[in-house]
Amino acid sequence: MNEQMLRAREIITGYKGRPVRIMEVCGTHTHEIFRLGIRKLVPENVDIISGPGCPVCVTAVGFIDEACWLALEKGCTITTFGDLIKVPGTEMSLAGARAKGAKVRPVYSPLDAVQLAKDDPDEQVVFLAVGFETTTPSACLAAKQAKEAGLKNFSLLTANKTMPNAYNALVGSADAFIYPGHVNAITGNGACKKLCEERGVSGVVAGFTASELMTALAVTLKLLGEGKPFFRNCYPRVVKDEGNPAAQKLMAEVMEPCDSEWRGLGLIPMSGMKLREEYAEYDARVKYGMPLITGKPNPACRCGDVLQGKCKPSDCKVFGKVCTPLHPVGACMVSDEGACSAYYQYSGLV
Amino acid sequence: MSDKTVTLAHGAGGKQTSELIDQVFKAHFSNPEFTADDAAVLPEIGGRLAMTTDGFIVSPWKFNGGNIGKLSICGTVNDLACMGAKPMYMTCAFVIEEGFPLDSLEEIAAAMEKTAAEAGVRIVAGDTKVAGKGQVDKVFITTTGIGQIQEGADTSGKYAKPGDAVIVTGDVGRHGCTILIARDDYGIGSDVDTDCAPLWGAVESMLGVTKDIHVIRDATRGGVGTVLYEIAEQSNVGVTLDQTAIPVDERVRGVCGMLGLEPLYLACEGRLVVVAPDDKAEAIVSELRKGKYTSNAAVIGHITAENAGRVILETEIGTQTILPQPKGELLPRIC
Repeated sequence: MNEQMLRAREIITGYKGRPVRIMEVCGTHTHEIFRLGIRKLVPENVDIISGPGCPVCVTAVGFIDEACWLALEKGCTITTFGDLIKVPGTEMSLAGARAKGAKVRPVYSPLDAVQLAKDDPDEQVVFLAVGFETTTPSACLAAKQAKEAGLKNFSLLTANKTMPNAYNALVGSADAFIYPGHVNAITGNGACKKLCEERGVSGVVAGFTASELMTALAVTLKLLGEGKPFFRNCYPRVVKDEGNPAAQKLMAEVMEPCDSEWRGLGLIPMSGMKLREEYAEYDARVKYGMPLITGKPNPACRCGDVLQGKCKPSDCKVFGKVCTPLHPVGACMVSDEGACSAYYQYSGLV
Repeated sequence: MSDKTVTLAHGAGGKQTSELIDQVFKAHFSNPEFTADDAAVLPEIGGRLAMTTDGFIVSPWKFNGGNIGKLSICGTVNDLACMGAKPMYMTCAFVIEEGFPLDSLEEIAAAMEKTAAEAGVRIVAGDTKVAGKGQVDKVFITTTGIGQIQEGADTSGKYAKPGDAVIVTGDVGRHGCTILIARDDYGIGSDVDTDCAPLWGAVESMLGVTKDIHVIRDATRGGVGTVLYEIAEQSNVGVTLDQTAIPVDERVRGVCGMLGLEPLYLACEGRLVVVAPDDKAEAIVSELRKGKYTSNAAVIGHITAENAGRVILETEIGTQTILPQPKGELLPRIC
């Protein structure tokens, strides 16, 4: 351990203030906090909770139903980040749709989906665009490339989300937030600063190495002890106040804000992104005249409460019994970055 | 024969089959036991024998640092070596897809010859079948091997004891990472190369230090993490690893970071997990470090009586966390 880590460790383990709840809102943070065993380091009066930071986890059930409709009713080839394939919809997951003959292909980047459409003009390729400000620019780039190439067999089914308005919905869930470094690297720090100044919401931006995460946590605990609302950028080597203007410009050119449904949080006004009018022919909902599809989550699953920090995964009745990474009931058990999956995989230490 | 390909006639048992065998296989596998008769006749071998068989269907058949031929020798040689057995004789059976280039088959046979020679093993019998286009993917190989167990060697996954040291013979996860890059499914470029290597030499050198080695396992499919969970279960013990001591190539770490993969769960094809008494560990590791394929050998942890059946990681921040249970091979057709 380097000196900075040792000092951070000292501050974290020595925290003696009032009981506090600290919420991280990034799937990678969720995973790293478990991997590093940080929860075992913090004293009892510090509760670290996972918020809605995993893009797969916050994707609404209805979105999976929409994708299955495109695949089964319209014969589209669905391209998607792999994790989404196992997420349960109302009646089936995309894996279930595939078993019924749907064409579902995992890709690593939306640009791979564009390439697939170019390579195979007979296939109607739909990319499932999910994720936060970190992945949205690549979906925008895909739409732009498709338009420039005049592709007639490529479209996006969008469920992209933006973080700032979700923070508003989460105010009161925790004493401080650990903000996602990768998101802030794109958006900049304006929204987080505004939350601090206008609503007294505290938080720090954190990076992803052990040293960066420990430092962010130590800074949070130290400043919580001082009792005043705060914002700090603890990831300055990557996050600049103004963010990434090129990515912001690309997003603004191709997409615009819209209301969006979050699993567990419900409809949050202006918390999503959809394709602009000029890109309507690449919007799968428009292109295929999709009817209104609303999903019904499994009532036994408490992913919604987990995502708001209202309960721990282990408080859910189906956790670890009916719901496991091999047979997930809720989205939080699917992705490695989901809180339930992380709890499950790292549980059981005697 | 640069433009020539394997045809169904090559597998029909007639003149063309003989040509294929003569030109490709006999040219490379020549030794006194490799004859045109129906079976190889072997001289008497003393002592206890170990025998194993393994099928290879890796895709793509060629990757950075090796090909399916080299892999098919290393896989069987290393399985024998793990039992403390000196590899002696091997057989190989090919299933080749119609249209597979003869040049490529030649390349595979050359790699097999070279690797077998290095491992000191003789290929004494073989079989060639040709399947129609699309019935197999390019070429599948099955190898079978016999080895002579060295006097005093007695290893098994059941023999790990609390207090024993856990050693890996090199950096972890290279082969899996190499195949992942070779398939280009993720659009990531990296010059990472496979660790595929014959390891009898490494085992022989360890047995030269001490015969008191409890477990030797090659960490192929599922990687080092899966092997450790298997040892923990078979011996009913816990395993505690020092995360900072686990050797990982920087290129592998980079790819894993991007894709969210755990290097401990990526396949190796030239790495052994060794469990031996703690007081012998240092001598074993320093002997291994002299070896061609084992220069990064390291003690990465210990066997414990507590946490039976589990693998615990001591993290870089000084906490303990559990290594998540293996979820099965991350990629199909890795070997």
